[in-house]
Amino acid sequence: MIQSIFLLFSAIGLMAALGTVLSRNLVRAALWLVAFFFIIAVQFVLLEAEFLAAIQVLVYIGAVAILLLFGIMLTRNIQGDETTSASLNTKLIFGALGLALFAVLATAIVSHKGTPERPAWSKIQGRPDDEAGRDGVLTRKDTINNMAKTVGDEMMTRFVIPFEIAGLLLTVALVGAVALARQVGADEPIDRVRKAGFTRDDAPANGSPEGVAEAPGAVASPSH
Amino acid sequence: MTDWACATLLFAQEIAPREIPWLAWFLWLLIGFFGIFPGVVAYMVWAERKVAARFQDRIGPNRVGPLGLLQPIADALKLITKEDIVPDAADPIVHLLAPVIILVSSFLVLAVIPFGVGLAPVNLPSGLLYLIAVSSFSALGVFLAGWSSRNKYALLGGMRAVAQLVSYEVPQVLSTIPVILFTGSLSLVSMVDRQYEFGWFVFSPPGFLAFVVMTIASIAEVNRTPFDLPEAESEIIAGYHTEYSGMRFGLFFLAEYLSVFAVSCLGTVLFLGGGLLPFPLNRLAEWMGTGDWPAIVVNIGMVSVFSIKVLGYVFLMFWVRVTLPRMRVDRMMNFAWKYLVPLSIGNIVIAAVWFEMVLRDPIKRMAQVEITGDEYIPPGIGVGLKGWIVTGALVIALFLTVLRVNRGSHASKIKEITESPIPLPSEAPALFARAR
Amino acid sequence: MHTVELPVSGSDIPLAWFLFFAAASFSIGLFGVLVRRNAIAVLMSIEIMLNAANINLIAFWRYVAPPPGEGINNGVMLALFVITIAAAEVAVGIALVLLAYRRWKAADVDRYDTLAG
Repeated sequence: MIQSIFLLFSAIGLMAALGTVLSRNLVRAALWLVAFFFIIAVQFVLLEAEFLAAIQVLVYIGAVAILLLFGIMLTRNIQGDETTSASLNTKLIFGALGLALFAVLATAIVSHKGTPERPAWSKIQGRPDDEAGRDGVLTRKDTINNMAKTVGDEMMTRFVIPFEIAGLLLTVALVGAVALARQVGADEPIDRVRKAGFTRDDAPANGSPEGVAEAPGAVASPSH
Repeated sequence: MTDWACATLLFAQEIAPREIPWLAWFLWLLIGFFGIFPGVVAYMVWAERKVAARFQDRIGPNRVGPLGLLQPIADALKLITKEDIVPDAADPIVHLLAPVIILVSSFLVLAVIPFGVGLAPVNLPSGLLYLIAVSSFSALGVFLAGWSSRNKYALLGGMRAVAQLVSYEVPQVLSTIPVILFTGSLSLVSMVDRQYEFGWFVFSPPGFLAFVVMTIASIAEVNRTPFDLPEAESEIIAGYHTEYSGMRFGLFFLAEYLSVFAVSCLGTVLFLGGGLLPFPLNRLAEWMGTGDWPAIVVNIGMVSVFSIKVLGYVFLMFWVRVTLPRMRVDRMMNFAWKYLVPLSIGNIVIAAVWFEMVLRDPIKRMAQVEITGDEYIPPGIGVGLKGWIVTGALVIALFLTVLRVNRGSHASKIKEITESPIPLPSEAPALFARAR
Repeated sequence: MHTVELPVSGSDIPLAWFLFFAAASFSIGLFGVLVRRNAIAVLMSIEIMLNAANINLIAFWRYVAPPPGEGINNGVMLALFVITIAAAEVAVGIALVLLAYRRWKAADVDRYDTLAG
């Protein structure tokens, strides 16, 4: 039963991944990507990490996918059709490369040899049964039962420095993204007016009539 | 204890047998998700029309059936029998997918709400996170609806809607953090449990502030006036559902009212104690030996109390809708990022103060009591009073600070604009001449 | 040194299946990065690769015992950090693409060739 569920969802997931890389319409590609993210969340649930599944849906579908869609809208024609795409030859070559990579990875997975304590990957047919921890010893079962709590504890103890660095990274990314994408003076009417050469200080220097004529929208702005 | 579908509410009794989870889920699907919730939505529409009519000194629907009670059924029939029109240029698959995504998102939100004892469809250990995650689906659906229609107004509405949903999701999520802090868990069932022990969360200064922020953000999340810019009919026709008609439009309609219901349920569970009576009355019930009462009696009581609270919450939303005008786009964004987000972030710190002053000690002792079996002595009223005074002062200080900072920046902006040397239109020709 | 007993449950999902799925997704993602010319499509393919890596992390967390002395949650924590960094990466990536689009009026990665000799 659980095996067939896994196979079904994996097939959908691979199809979605292929759809993302092959679809010519970028918005369609983003939709396939959303489906792929959702399948990853399903895989997390199958691995008994439903906290991570919720995080996956929240971060990837709720934020990353929306961001990508906005990016498509702002850089392409609205319908999102890609006008340029690689030639068939390139596709075939890179497709062969992808298949080769998969072959290498699959060989590695199959041929992994275990040690007496750590069995080979291909021999692990099912997940180990865990006991709940006693006497304050954390086990995997505790994490499965209440992942939010154990992860939070770990974030504040063993992983506190990575946690802080991740926070810093997010802040830097936020500020950096805003600084990069912001059009200077886009939302400041006063700057627009100044650029058009209407301020008394700037007027003799760079308020040439040609400059004004180039920006008809800006000429209208002092009137309202 | 941590079984997925196990209820720890109140006396841990259940109506549906836990041994047959499939039966319980089947019942939930059949009765709850196909029967009760759509019915609730249909009559919410009727109630809204009646309430709005009263506010505007009209009568409201009164033709179909007594008091117009059959009006929702007539409306539904009309929507179903209407022609299903898909625009020629539209993307047919996505056009169909968009309302379905929105509707699924609103339905999934209801799957973790504890309506009574053991009456949560699923009790996830990270239920609140799940709820936030599935409700963020709707932004995607709205965007796709706007994009797939191949209509300028639909696209504009979709873009507006996504910007609004993403912005207001931030304060909405941040304002639930005090509740998570008080509970120490993400499960909605344990949140109601904690409120059974310590009273509703709204009865504490940080809880109250979080409740207010969350209510405002929720109104924006479900796109209702004064935040209905995505579908502002006087500006962009009907926004993202301009090109939808018939039952496809009906799905949007259903989803909107379903999410109103869902956020009301969420607000009730997080801050208003779910199906619990105010603090002293619950103790009264305990003294009367409710433990021996059959679960069904307790549940009927709890579900009624829950429904009354949800009705009150929904009425508040109707009231806001008929009273306030629509906001302007830039002001709406400013309001989210400059007022609600700082308020809710500061509120997290205040909630920590409240937790340290009032809640930490009783929670610890309660846990000990469970091990040792001694009698639990509730803390004196003095502790709560002290906490109230300190955190209340902090909340007021935070509120005033946020207000002052924003006013200050606003004033300096106005000063800059008014004092900067922009000539009057009549002066412009002279300027041109000088520049030449 | 004791030998770890392998659980004998016929109906569970073998670990290798998750690894195969992750490997296949990763290969598809790599293919996408190479074959796509639109910058945003490249970003999407990178997301596929990161998610495939996450599947691996969680599968090993669930199926394999950690070495003694290591925390039990390392896989989950690493996956969380991957998600965090992927979100930051997309935000900065989209901002860069927007900036490049304004500069070159193109969103294709092979059009940004100002530095080419």
